[in-house]
Amino acid sequence: MAGVSRKITTGLTGLKVINEPHEMLKVLYEKILIALDKIPATAAYRVNTEQIVRNRMQHVLTERNVQVLEQKIDGGQIEEVILQAKRELALARKMIEWKPWEPLVAQAPKNQWKWPF
Amino acid sequence: MASKFCRLFRPIAANFARTRFLQQANVVTQPCRNNTQSTGTTTEKRPTIRAPDTLMRKTLSEFGQYVAENLPKYVQQVQITNTDELDIMIHPDGIVPVISFLKDHHSCQFLNIIDLTAVDVPTRQYRFEIVYMLMSLRFNSRIKVKTYTDELSPIESICSVFAGANWYEREIWDMFGVFFANHPDLRRILTDYGFEGHPLRKEFPLSGYVEVRYDDEVKRVVVEPLELTQEFRKFECSSPWETFPKYQQLQDAEEVPMNKEGNKPQEKK
Repeated sequence: MAGVSRKITTGLTGLKVINEPHEMLKVLYEKILIALDKIPATAAYRVNTEQIVRNRMQHVLTERNVQVLEQKIDGGQIEEVILQAKRELALARKMIEWKPWEPLVAQAPKNQWKWPF
Repeated sequence: MASKFCRLFRPIAANFARTRFLQQANVVTQPCRNNTQSTGTTTEKRPTIRAPDTLMRKTLSEFGQYVAENLPKYVQQVQITNTDELDIMIHPDGIVPVISFLKDHHSCQFLNIIDLTAVDVPTRQYRFEIVYMLMSLRFNSRIKVKTYTDELSPIESICSVFAGANWYEREIWDMFGVFFANHPDLRRILTDYGFEGHPLRKEFPLSGYVEVRYDDEVKRVVVEPLELTQEFRKFECSSPWETFPKYQQLQDAEEVPMNKEGNKPQEKK
């Protein structure tokens, strides 16, 4: 493994190469799923996010080769995928406070969105 | 000797090239003209400057529905403009949730804030329309998020989500007087020290309220209330631009039907 196939850089400023991404991704996806458990099961955000995360988790668990894994997930380099997972985790935790699955707060006043006026 | 020879032949060669070029040009333009005529008469009634992209519109409307389905608490309306841009109209309470959803969710990833601006329409109940423009490099797409406010009610700042929104919000505060709550450093950005008023509001006079001049007696620049002679006070109110009522209807945005199956207790008005 060493030498030939080791990745030197991601080519993206400030983004370091991670050599063993599987463990990191597994932990992150598990944390996301735990956070999503606190959201009602019918909420569209939970349904959609769970589908995406479970799909990615499946690829992470089955595929050991990082390059093939990147192709299967199709979300850019694996370092970017880790960043995406971190963002989703932060979002899921905040969503629990915001509760965006509730009914609409208030309709806009009449003609608010009408254009040309 | 050689130059003389060239001088003799140059006009002939130039003529030859010109005639050849014209012939070729004719060949190229002919089918094009036929094409535009045929499409103009059969399918498309709009001016054929920009071809409509139905696939793009379909993807955008699906994505708009996806956002509305995920955030039913805040999304009031979704529409696609005639230039294939997706607009999400939201309630002002949901600025931070909607923007962070668009930034952080796996299938959105709008990580760049392109612009943040306001529109002043004084006849509306909430006169200011705040527009957020975001871009996703991952999915090569753009989105506009619109919300509304009036002079008094503050809008939640999105500096916690996008640090780049800091100066845009200061600009809106300066130009329109929209207050942003929880902004780290909300102060004037474009106008001069001691400036009064918000220049892009519709009621702000074109000449401003004050004038600045150098005073010889006090040896400094003084600011005085504006004094205009009467002839400069007559303002032409009609629009200087040509308007095309024929195309006004065509330029209306198309509303995307929102998928409300996900949330049964949705209000119906």
